[in-house]
Amino acid sequence: MHLRPTRDHPARATAHPAEDAATDPAGGPDLVISDLVIAYSSGGYEVRPIDGLDLHVESGQLVLLLGASGCGKTTLLSALASILSPTAGSIRLGDVEVTGLRGRELVDYRRHKVGVVFQSFNLVPSLTASENVAVPLRVAGVAGRQARSRAEELLRRVDLTDRLHHRPGDLSGGQAQRVAIARALAHDPGLVLADEPTAHLDYIQVDGVLRLLRQLAAPGRIVIVATHDERLLPLADRVVELTPRAPEASRPPHQLTLDPGQVLFSQGDPGDLVYVVDDGTVDIVRRRSDGGEEQLARLGPGSYFGELAPLFGLRRSASARASVRSTVTAYSLADFRAVQAHVDSTSADPA
Amino acid sequence: MWLISLRDLQWRRRRFVIAVIATGLVFGISLLMAGTEFTLYEDGRRIVGSFGADAWVVDEGTSGPFTTASPIPASTARRVALEPGVEAAEPVVISRSTVEREAPQDVNIIGYRPGSFVAIPASSGRGPQEPGEAIADVALGVDVGATISVGGHDLRVVGLAEQVTWYFGTPTVFVLLPDAQAITFRGQPLAMGVATLGVPSALPDGLRALDNSQVVRDLERPLKSSTETIALLNFLLWIVATGIVGSMVYLSALERSRDFAVFKATGATNRSLLAGLLLQAAVLAAASAVVAVVVAWLLVPSFPFTVQIPAALYLRLAAIVTAVGVLASLAGLRQAVKVQPALAFGGQ
Repeated sequence: MHLRPTRDHPARATAHPAEDAATDPAGGPDLVISDLVIAYSSGGYEVRPIDGLDLHVESGQLVLLLGASGCGKTTLLSALASILSPTAGSIRLGDVEVTGLRGRELVDYRRHKVGVVFQSFNLVPSLTASENVAVPLRVAGVAGRQARSRAEELLRRVDLTDRLHHRPGDLSGGQAQRVAIARALAHDPGLVLADEPTAHLDYIQVDGVLRLLRQLAAPGRIVIVATHDERLLPLADRVVELTPRAPEASRPPHQLTLDPGQVLFSQGDPGDLVYVVDDGTVDIVRRRSDGGEEQLARLGPGSYFGELAPLFGLRRSASARASVRSTVTAYSLADFRAVQAHVDSTSADPA
Repeated sequence: MWLISLRDLQWRRRRFVIAVIATGLVFGISLLMAGTEFTLYEDGRRIVGSFGADAWVVDEGTSGPFTTASPIPASTARRVALEPGVEAAEPVVISRSTVEREAPQDVNIIGYRPGSFVAIPASSGRGPQEPGEAIADVALGVDVGATISVGGHDLRVVGLAEQVTWYFGTPTVFVLLPDAQAITFRGQPLAMGVATLGVPSALPDGLRALDNSQVVRDLERPLKSSTETIALLNFLLWIVATGIVGSMVYLSALERSRDFAVFKATGATNRSLLAGLLLQAAVLAAASAVVAVVVAWLLVPSFPFTVQIPAALYLRLAAIVTAVGVLASLAGLRQAVKVQPALAFGGQ
């Protein structure tokens, strides 16, 4: 399965192939993600929040990663920050193949190429605003005076000149978020990642932070914001929806015949239909992280399955596969509800 | 990273102060115990040295003049004086008795002949010149001119001597040989040994010669179990100190997991995190050492005997504090190393 940006800003939409040149003529690096797969083990089962993602972001763009909790937004940001190694695929920022970084190069990338605005700010409580901004500089070995000067310059830029020596506990949420943004800009990185930057802010504070994020996305820099806050949509040059949206199930109920071993749907697929077994048996199986699979259920005639994915907008949490030649009826969620209501009323009828 | 570490200590200053005081008390007690151990040995070395002898002659079956229960005739000194290598030989009585007071007080008795090379110089007054006179240790708390009753014998104090205690500060009374023999041997002409100037190359049968270091070791022998106990307790106290500092650093590291994750995500290495933790432990241990010195100074006067804390013990404390700091920081290091930078992405 390949996820692609499902909503592009009409004025800025781009459709570069992933293998295109990685540097924008404006001078900043492009971000090219190719066939990215991130899988990990959760409770013994394999989870693939990112499965085959292709994306090309030009320098100067602000991209929103939109989706519900657990859809892989933060996982993708972690991979872009080179904090998490993807299972497969490639991430290139300009000339840097991020997924191949090791040792000194990895440290240099984290220090100089990417800045991260973490969820909940993640400022160090014992340090002042100025010292917090100076942390990445000091970590990179920048001398104290120079680091202080740069930190103060960045805090002026985010309009916090009068809060240089305040600790995070003495700052409002919006101010703390601006300090976090200033910290992410310490090395003037080409890629700025922001994880739920509006999660802890009221609408007044959100306004200031959004303006700031928008300003950051200028030639020479890419800003990627992970959020489930749709208020940020007008801000974005591009929107990448990580929650899979299955095509609207508008077809009337229809019957499907499955050969033995035929897969009806796979774990991780978007889900739009609910199925009722008419004849034969269908196995519900889940991939384990060790590469094997576990059979969760074998469903016979009259059983239904697959209702959770369309109901909650989730990916399929297991695969469905016919164990013998079988027949199932596929319903849209609305049709399935209607059928269920009819069954319930019929069974409740004493006659 | 050092600034961040110091700021963290400042941030957690209440806990830091509590840890410094607790560790300082532990180090202070450790310092006092080490001082006590040192004093016990130093007293022995000093008292043996104060005789000014080159060698000691004792009965062959005994281990030394300070611990023997087998006295020899005092006249042995005359025969020893004739042996090759011996310039002078003086019989000495070294024993223990009590001064009769409201509660009997233990004293060491040293008896020697007037005018001999073993004459102990008095810090005030003079030395005994005739029977019934004595030099008393200032630790006994009597003045020149006072009369004390030692083992039922009245002695007039004609001089005072300083730093002549041994066996946990037991004061010493110096008397002439006949008085010491009267107190110890009911007047029999016996001696614990013979102190010599020059080292005898041969001795009459039944006698053996010891050098000063052998005599000191013999004197220290009864102290061995006490000093070993002190050393063991000291070691346990260092472990306690390491535990306190380690707990402080570990808790700090535990609470700073997210900070460490942020540092790592911004390119900090494990080595730089270790340096920060090491600095915290070192500052904590060093501050504790200062408190320990103050505690020791304040408590020394309350001890029943003079406890000496020489510079070497302070240097040893510094070394122990350094070791404690390094060990304690290891507790936090493990925590810091295992923090994944991805933790920085988690919400709170």
